[in-house]
Amino acid sequence: MKSLHTEILIAKHLKNSVFKNTAVFIITLFIGLILLYAAFSGWENYTNQNETSEKYQHESREDWLKNPDKNPHRMAHYGNFAFRKSTPLSVFEFGMEPFFGNAIFLEAHKQNTANFSEAGFSNSMLRFGEISIAMVLQILLPLLIFFLGFNAVAAERENGTLKLLLSQGISWKQLLTGKILGIASVIMLLFVPTIIVLVFIWLLLQNFSITPDETIKMSLFILFHFIYLIFFCVIAVLISASSKTSKKALISLIGIWLVFTIILPRTTQAIGAYIYEAPSKIQFQSDIEKDILKQGDSHNPNDLHYKAIKDSLLRVYKVDSVQKLPFNYSGFIMTEGEKISSKIYNQHLEKLLQVYEKQNRFSKIISFVNPYIAIKNLSMGLSNTDYDSYIDFQKQAENYRYNMAQKMNALQVKFISNKKPAPNDKPLTIDKEHWADVEEFHYEPKEIWDVLKSEIVSILSIFLWIVLLFIFIRFAVKNLKAI
Amino acid sequence: MLALLFKNFIRSKGTKIGLIFLFIICFISLLIGQQFQQKQQDNIAEAAIYQKEHIARNAAFHKDEIGLLLYYIKFSLVNKTLPINSLAIGQRDVNPSIQSVTIRGLEAQKYDAELNNPNNLLSGNIDFSFVLIYLFPLLIIAFSYNLVSEEKESGTWKIVATQSKNTFLYILKLFYIRILSLIALLSIVLFIAVLFLNIPFDNSLLTFYTIAILYILFWFAVCFFIVSLQKHSNFNAVILLTIWLFFIIILPAIINTYIVNKYPIPEALELTVKQRNAYHEKWDMDKKITMDKFYSHYPQFKSYPLPNAEFSWLWYYAMQQAGDDDSAKQSQELQNKLEQRNNASQNIAQFIPTLHAQIQLNEIAKADLGNQLLFLKETKLFHEKLRLYFYPKIFDNSEVNKENWSKFKVETFNDPSEINFLKAFLPLLLFNLILIVFGWRNFKIKNI
Repeated sequence: MKSLHTEILIAKHLKNSVFKNTAVFIITLFIGLILLYAAFSGWENYTNQNETSEKYQHESREDWLKNPDKNPHRMAHYGNFAFRKSTPLSVFEFGMEPFFGNAIFLEAHKQNTANFSEAGFSNSMLRFGEISIAMVLQILLPLLIFFLGFNAVAAERENGTLKLLLSQGISWKQLLTGKILGIASVIMLLFVPTIIVLVFIWLLLQNFSITPDETIKMSLFILFHFIYLIFFCVIAVLISASSKTSKKALISLIGIWLVFTIILPRTTQAIGAYIYEAPSKIQFQSDIEKDILKQGDSHNPNDLHYKAIKDSLLRVYKVDSVQKLPFNYSGFIMTEGEKISSKIYNQHLEKLLQVYEKQNRFSKIISFVNPYIAIKNLSMGLSNTDYDSYIDFQKQAENYRYNMAQKMNALQVKFISNKKPAPNDKPLTIDKEHWADVEEFHYEPKEIWDVLKSEIVSILSIFLWIVLLFIFIRFAVKNLKAI
Repeated sequence: MLALLFKNFIRSKGTKIGLIFLFIICFISLLIGQQFQQKQQDNIAEAAIYQKEHIARNAAFHKDEIGLLLYYIKFSLVNKTLPINSLAIGQRDVNPSIQSVTIRGLEAQKYDAELNNPNNLLSGNIDFSFVLIYLFPLLIIAFSYNLVSEEKESGTWKIVATQSKNTFLYILKLFYIRILSLIALLSIVLFIAVLFLNIPFDNSLLTFYTIAILYILFWFAVCFFIVSLQKHSNFNAVILLTIWLFFIIILPAIINTYIVNKYPIPEALELTVKQRNAYHEKWDMDKKITMDKFYSHYPQFKSYPLPNAEFSWLWYYAMQQAGDDDSAKQSQELQNKLEQRNNASQNIAQFIPTLHAQIQLNEIAKADLGNQLLFLKETKLFHEKLRLYFYPKIFDNSEVNKENWSKFKVETFNDPSEINFLKAFLPLLLFNLILIVFGWRNFKIKNI
């Protein structure tokens, strides 16, 4: 216990000297204000976005149900919408959300794009980044830590007090631990209140009825950010201890910060995108169209694929024309067409997503050298604003679309007469009560287990960083010199 | 004297590394710009081929019914990509540069998004404008944060002060060397860009170059001002980096959230829900209502009466038209909101040099929100032109074969907006002037 006493003493000393510095005081105050602003604007953005998407999801559902009796195929074209909803944690971590499309129109035969992203509605401003709690925790606080810590040891070396300290029987280990604790305790003065506010907002957003899944996500969010900040305290003290002058320490730390938070994230992703070029929309769509035509075009009366289906149906039911079949022939053909076209679409989508995965893999692996990327990916995963969550949303929407279209086709096959109405007859319809058979689209965010699985690289790299920093401290303790 | 100072500056290891590093990143940015340009060109070529094949194939399938044929076929409009766009990609990666539309309801097609990897969008492009706006300032800061202060700390300042008659002139010379070397770097890179990316030597390029120079001078002016306070090197480094952080991340982000929250766009979703109903409900309505609306929009088509059949293409396209007409209000509101956002961000940006430079560069490259809005408007005109051309043919059920389909080529939209030099240069000029005057005053007062 005695040894820990020394460390606490060093930590307290550092803390006191930090708060004597008015510049630090001002910067800390400022970051506090930014945190407040981030919490406030995140809240406003979240409620705006979710209220709007809920409102129109609801409205479009009402519209769907209000449709009168009609041919189910008309309903398949009337379609449904998938509006994206955010999870409570996205108040603190916007992640890629501004770049996601917010609405997908779901109709028969056609996979539409997710439209209306915030980025499309923005001038280039958005590209400078956003103010969110996560951004403050991940980018600004590390810089503050570096500003606080660059002269932790280097200044003592410059003044000559380092020699005094060491000659008084304080070991390097005690000194480094004490300094790390000192910086950490200053940062905790910002971190702890922030977390308290976060938890409060988070509870409020869910009306205090929290699910275990959300609770685990929130706890991990806090835990990982805590570890992340401690990393930077350790890095700051280690660099300060190994630099000859405080100026050198400061410049190295600023360099590290720039590389970690600004340069590496952009360059690695850009390299990924440069090497693995993704197809453009027009190319993607025309490839799909070509493949569908190869498989068979249900609109072409002479198409071989559909002619074979027709012939076999006529054989099985022993009739000579499709009008005599006991079920709706065109509904049957559309079921087949939907099956083929969505299979082909999914194959192409899968290929496209593989290209994206390859582009992303680059920067994912870089998290082993860059804790910023690791924490960023992890916190985006936890708040459901990462790449995987978006793809998951699109897949759920496509799944819903397919089932809706096939449900309508099934209704047509079953209930619509096979005889074509004469030009002046009323169109064939089915009862509107069937519309309620198609359930409302409901987006289910990924659960914690899936998040952890897809972010395994980030978690591993964080553990690796913990081990690495311990090794560095041991190495430093053995090799550092007083002068 | 100047030559000696220059030798001293350029011989330092840090300077060399910094300049070489920046030059390499500039070069990478040009490679990325070139890839972007190539991709845009390929897309346009692809779109032309695709449209030709697509129309020919469909015209062969649906040769009996021109109404049905036009249900399927798409016509493309290209938002012209200037070569200078490779230097500032701007919003062109988010927004599609090609719109492909059928003559059916436009509102359901107009906002179709580009295919994108959100990860790429989040991290952003390394185009030349990024290097200029983010990285040049860092090098400028690295080159000048310790001017004077370092000599004072190492004790050599007194020698300088006794040896030169005018120390202020000496400081100016130190800055002059650094400014010159970075502007030289900028000029070399842009010269390479002109050759490598086939950028025409015109007004746009000159404006781009001028803004870049003014922007570089702005950061030197900031450094000059901070140096004039004559504090410790460490203080200078911390404060300059904080200023950089404010201008590059914090202020733009705060303004962005402000604009997003000030002008929310529920209209987008409202429009998309509305246009669906507006069209589909017509199927279940008395046909006369739809037709009356159609005739009042296009009196010239009153001569086509509704055929006596359950379904007719006249009625079908009148319904599609109603989808657009009935949601015109929401569409207009959405457009107004976007214009408000664009104006607000441009106005605020005048007070933030980084934002201002970025927005101006994008504007020159025709890659800003303003360009996108013009492109959307042009898409509407393009769509209307096609409608007016095909409507009478559909209503007459004219023969598919009689139409010369090969004449429908991909069309190109040329953004005609001109650069406003005053608006582009004045904010940066003023900032520079103010900082230099105050810095100069500080030096005079402290009487170095």
